Amino acid sequence: MNQDAELLMARVRSRDADAFEALYDEYHRLVYGVALRMLGDASAAEDITQAVFLKVWSAPDLFRGGNFGAWIVRVARNRSLDTLRSRASHQELELPESLPEADAMEDEAFARLDGERVREALGRLPAEQRQPIELGFFGGITHEEIARRTGIPLGTIKTRIRTGLRKLRTSLDGVVTA
Amino acid sequence: MNAPHDPAMLDDVAVYALGSLPASDAERVRAHLATCAVCRAELHALQPAVTSLAASAEQSPGALLKARVMRTVRADAQAHAVPAKKQPSVWPAYFVAAACFAIALISTLVNLSLVGQLRQAQTKVAQIDSNSSGLARSLAQERATLADIMDDKAQRFPVSGGEVIRVHDKLYITLHDVPAPPRGKVYQAWTLAKGAKLMSPSLTFVPDRHGVAVISLPVDARQTAAVAVSVEPDGGSKQPTSTPTFVVSIG
Repeated sequence: MNQDAELLMARVRSRDADAFEALYDEYHRLVYGVALRMLGDASAAEDITQAVFLKVWSAPDLFRGGNFGAWIVRVARNRSLDTLRSRASHQELELPESLPEADAMEDEAFARLDGERVREALGRLPAEQRQPIELGFFGGITHEEIARRTGIPLGTIKTRIRTGLRKLRTSLDGVVTA
Repeated sequence: MNAPHDPAMLDDVAVYALGSLPASDAERVRAHLATCAVCRAELHALQPAVTSLAASAEQSPGALLKARVMRTVRADAQAHAVPAKKQPSVWPAYFVAAACFAIALISTLVNLSLVGQLRQAQTKVAQIDSNSSGLARSLAQERATLADIMDDKAQRFPVSGGEVIRVHDKLYITLHDVPAPPRGKVYQAWTLAKGAKLMSPSLTFVPDRHGVAVISLPVDARQTAAVAVSVEPDGGSKQPTSTPTFVVSIG
């Protein structure tokens, strides 16, 4: 799938609308899903999805290789964070930084994921670990805000996030290891 | 240039991987990652788990979104379509011969093109002729319908939104105040032949934008006992599937 995406992106660079449509069909559910989960608003999520894909079309060189899916998820999350930043209710909060760039090997691991398997793996995590992970990724809030909202000490939140992510990684092993 | 590993940083690295650190802390972690191989390895180990979270949220947007995006993209692709490259010019020594050949070729092509245009024109004339005949037939039909429904001897049966008109052996439904049927639905006429127990399906129709419909029913009015209209799925039904908007006895 990833190799296909790289080939399709090469065609998008030469203004091939059919190649772009194939990419849209493959990845729009990921982009829309992340935006919807973060913004909780279907209309705003559609706006983000449209903006992300039109950016892919107008500036394809922003994608510099690696796994297209992992890259576009980062773009979608960062765009959604921008929207959260612009919302009045979030102005008093310090919002987190964007997701760090991943290298090609980690990106490659992402290529073999499917939603059902990840949902199962997440479901197996204890709620005390799953909750701060989901709040951190989809909630667009810092670990300090998570601690404040849940009333759990900051150090405990950080440890739970790390433990949960390690378990998630182990659950998805064979899928996420190259 | 590896700095000593600080185990206390591992939790911060996990929060950094999740994208949940505020900017000031993220800067501190980035600086540490640049010098600590153990923490870099931890970041690399956790990042796939973080990006995998997105897959758990997959959802389909509304179908119109794709149409919006693709309309913009295709319009842009068309606007930036690169014209075909011109062929390189021919060496001058062969210019005259090539020019003669080109003139001959162009003449032939022009002739072929003229013949083609002539045929196209003939086809168009035939089409216009055919359309005119169709239009004349349609106008004649409309005049006949109008004459029938205005006929003093016509029998009129009031129904909801209009009337059913019987003139000699002709039968019409004329409606002047009918709402558009729901999406995917049409109106369908039904006729009951004298002596029959079941209605027979007849024409389907939709009113124009003013709510007007004039339907000439393809039955012998003298052999028809009743007329009805109901709302049916597009394409019509063999038996009524909804309560008729009207049923009128004309027998």
